[in-house]
Amino acid sequence: MSEGALPKQDAVLRVDDLQKSFGGLAATDHASFAVERGTITGLIGPNGAGKSTLFNLISGFYEPDGGTVEVNETDVTGMEPYQVADHGLIRTFQTPRKLEGMTVREAMLVGPRNQPGESFVKLFAAPGTVAERESTNLAEAERILEEFEIDHLATQPATDISGGQMKLVELARAMLAEPEVLLLDEPVAGVNPTLAKKLKDQIRRLNEQGTTFLLIEHDMEFVMDLADPIVVLDQGSVLTEGSPEEVRSDDRVIDAYLGGGT
Amino acid sequence: MSLLDGARGSLTELSRPERWVLGVSAAFALFLLAALLTGALGPTYFLFLVGLAGMYALLSFGLNAQWGFTGLINFSVAAFFGIGAYGSALMTADSSPIAGGFNPLVGLVVALVVAFVLALLIGIPTLRLRADYLAIASLGLAEVVRLIVLNERWLTNGSAGLRGIPSFFQGWPVLSTFPEAMPGLRLVVIPGSPILLETSFWQSLLNVMLVLTFAGVTYLVLRRAHRSPWGRVLRTIRSDEDLARALGKNTYSFKMQSFILGSLIMALAGVFYTHLNLYVGPGDLDPITTFYAWVAVILGGSGSNRGALFGGIVIVTIREGTRFLNDVALPIDPAPLRLLLIGVVIVAVMRYRPQGILPPQRELIWPSAVDGGGTPETPDSGVREQKGGGSNE
Repeated sequence: MSEGALPKQDAVLRVDDLQKSFGGLAATDHASFAVERGTITGLIGPNGAGKSTLFNLISGFYEPDGGTVEVNETDVTGMEPYQVADHGLIRTFQTPRKLEGMTVREAMLVGPRNQPGESFVKLFAAPGTVAERESTNLAEAERILEEFEIDHLATQPATDISGGQMKLVELARAMLAEPEVLLLDEPVAGVNPTLAKKLKDQIRRLNEQGTTFLLIEHDMEFVMDLADPIVVLDQGSVLTEGSPEEVRSDDRVIDAYLGGGT
Repeated sequence: MSLLDGARGSLTELSRPERWVLGVSAAFALFLLAALLTGALGPTYFLFLVGLAGMYALLSFGLNAQWGFTGLINFSVAAFFGIGAYGSALMTADSSPIAGGFNPLVGLVVALVVAFVLALLIGIPTLRLRADYLAIASLGLAEVVRLIVLNERWLTNGSAGLRGIPSFFQGWPVLSTFPEAMPGLRLVVIPGSPILLETSFWQSLLNVMLVLTFAGVTYLVLRRAHRSPWGRVLRTIRSDEDLARALGKNTYSFKMQSFILGSLIMALAGVFYTHLNLYVGPGDLDPITTFYAWVAVILGGSGSNRGALFGGIVIVTIREGTRFLNDVALPIDPAPLRLLLIGVVIVAVMRYRPQGILPPQRELIWPSAVDGGGTPETPDSGVREQKGGGSNE
C-alpha cells in the first residue's frame, strides 16, 4: 500500500505503522514514512487527511495506539513532548502562540533548550553561569532576528506584531532550540505573499545550513517549490511519496484532492 | 524593578500608575505619621498593623508565585497559611498536645517541611491535568485541612486552639530579652499627649523586623526568579503550556516548583502569624484568608511582585482601617463594610484596570545579560513603516 516504509540510509525521523483512532475513526491509519537528514520534506493531503494528528503523534502530544516514532534512531514513542524535543525534534503550531507580556526577544529566549537559568537552584547557587548563558542566548537571539530581518521588532510586545511576523518569530525561536528536525505546521497559512516568500527563503537558507524540515502546508505552490520529497497523506495513511513532479502527476493524489477516491 | 529602585530614578521615568501609587503611598504615610505623632494611633498597634501588612504581603507573594507567574489556580491559601501557623505553634506552644516547647526555629522548619509535603501531595495528581483540576482539588484541600484542625483534638487541641506560644526570638541570644532590656521611653511631641514606648512596643518592633526580613528575602528571591529563564518558562506556561512543552520544557516539573515555592511562602506567613498573635485557632483557617490573598494579587496586578506587596498593604488598610469607622457615627454597623468595601474595590479594578494597579511591564531578562549584550535598545524610526508594510492583518 505505502512505499514509505522503505528503509532509508540516514533518517532523522522515522514513523513506522503509526495508528491513532478517535472513537472508532482512524485519524492515523498505519502511516509509515521517513524524513531523510538534510531534506525539506513536505506533508500534504486533503482536509481531514490526518496531518495535524500525525504531527501531534510524532511530537508526543498524542500517544499512538500502535506503531513507533524514531528520532535519530532513538525510539521516542509514547514520550512526553519535552522529551521528544530533547531528542532534537522541535515543532511549531498552526496558529502562532501568543506570549502575553513578553517582548519579542523575551519570547525568543524561551527557545534555547536546557538553559542553566531554568534551574531554580542555579539562580542562586551559580548566578554567574546563568548570566553568561543568558548573554550568549540573547546575542544569538538577536543574531537570528537580524538574519530574519525582524530585529527591529526585538523590543516590541510579542502580542503586538502581525500574524505573519509571529510566524517568523516562531520559526526563529524554534531555531534557538537547535533542532535536528523541525516540524512546521502550515508555516505560511494566513501570511501575505511578501512574508511568505521571506519565510520560504529562510527555510531554504536554514536547510542549507543543516536543519531538516518536515512541513505541513496547504499552499501547493509553496510546498511544491520548497519541499522535496513530498509525502501525501489521505485518510490517515500514506498515499504516495516522491518528488514534486511525481506527486503532481500521480492520479491517486488528484483523486484524493478532488474527492474521487474510493 | 522594585518600587524603591523606581523612586531612586527620576520621577519622569515612572509610568502614570507608578507615580499615582507613589503619591498615594506618600500621602498615606504622612497621614499615619500625623496619627502617630498626635497619639491618635498607638505606636504598638501601628507596629502590629505593619506586621499584618507584612503577613498579607507574604501571602500575596506566595499566591503571585503560583497564579501570577504560572497561572496555577490555588484556592487553598488559607490551608497553607494554617499549616504554617499550626506547624510552628504545635512545635513551640506550651499547650501543644503533641510536642511543644521547641525552639521557634524548629517550628519554622517543621512548618515548612509539612507545607512542602502537602504541596507535593496535592500537586502530584493535579498538576499534570488542566488548570481547573488544581483549582477544584485545592478548594477541597482547604476544607479538609480546616476540618482536621477543628476535629482532631489529640493533634491540634480542636476548637480551643493553641495558647502559650512564645515569641519567635525566644531562646536567641540578646534578642530574646531585648524587649525587657529596653528602657521605657516617653516622647512628647505634642504637649499633653505623650507617646509611651514600653516593652510591648519593643516586642512589636522585633516582630516587624522579623516580618520585614521574611518579606524582604522573599521579595528578592521572587524578583530574581521572575526575571530569570526559570521565570520565563513559568510565564510561557501561563500563556501557553503546549508551546513550552513543544520547546522541550518539562512543564509538570516547572509547575510543581512554582506551586511548592508559593506554598512555602504562604506557610512562612503562617509561621510569622503564630508568633505575632501568640494564639492560633481553627478560625485562622477560614477561607476568607484565601479570598484576601486573591484580591491582593489581582488588585496589585497578577505576575507583579511589587503589585502583590501593594495589594497586601491595601487589604490590611481596608481590613483594619474600617475598625475606625466605629468612631464615626454611622447609621450601620461598619464590620460588614469591610467585605463590602473589598468587593467595591475589586469591581472598580476589574472595570477600569483589569490588569491590576501595578502589572509587570518591564522586559524581564537577566539584567547583566541585557547590559552586557550590546543590544539595540529602542527600535529605529523605520519600525512603523516596516510594520505597516509587513502586516497582513
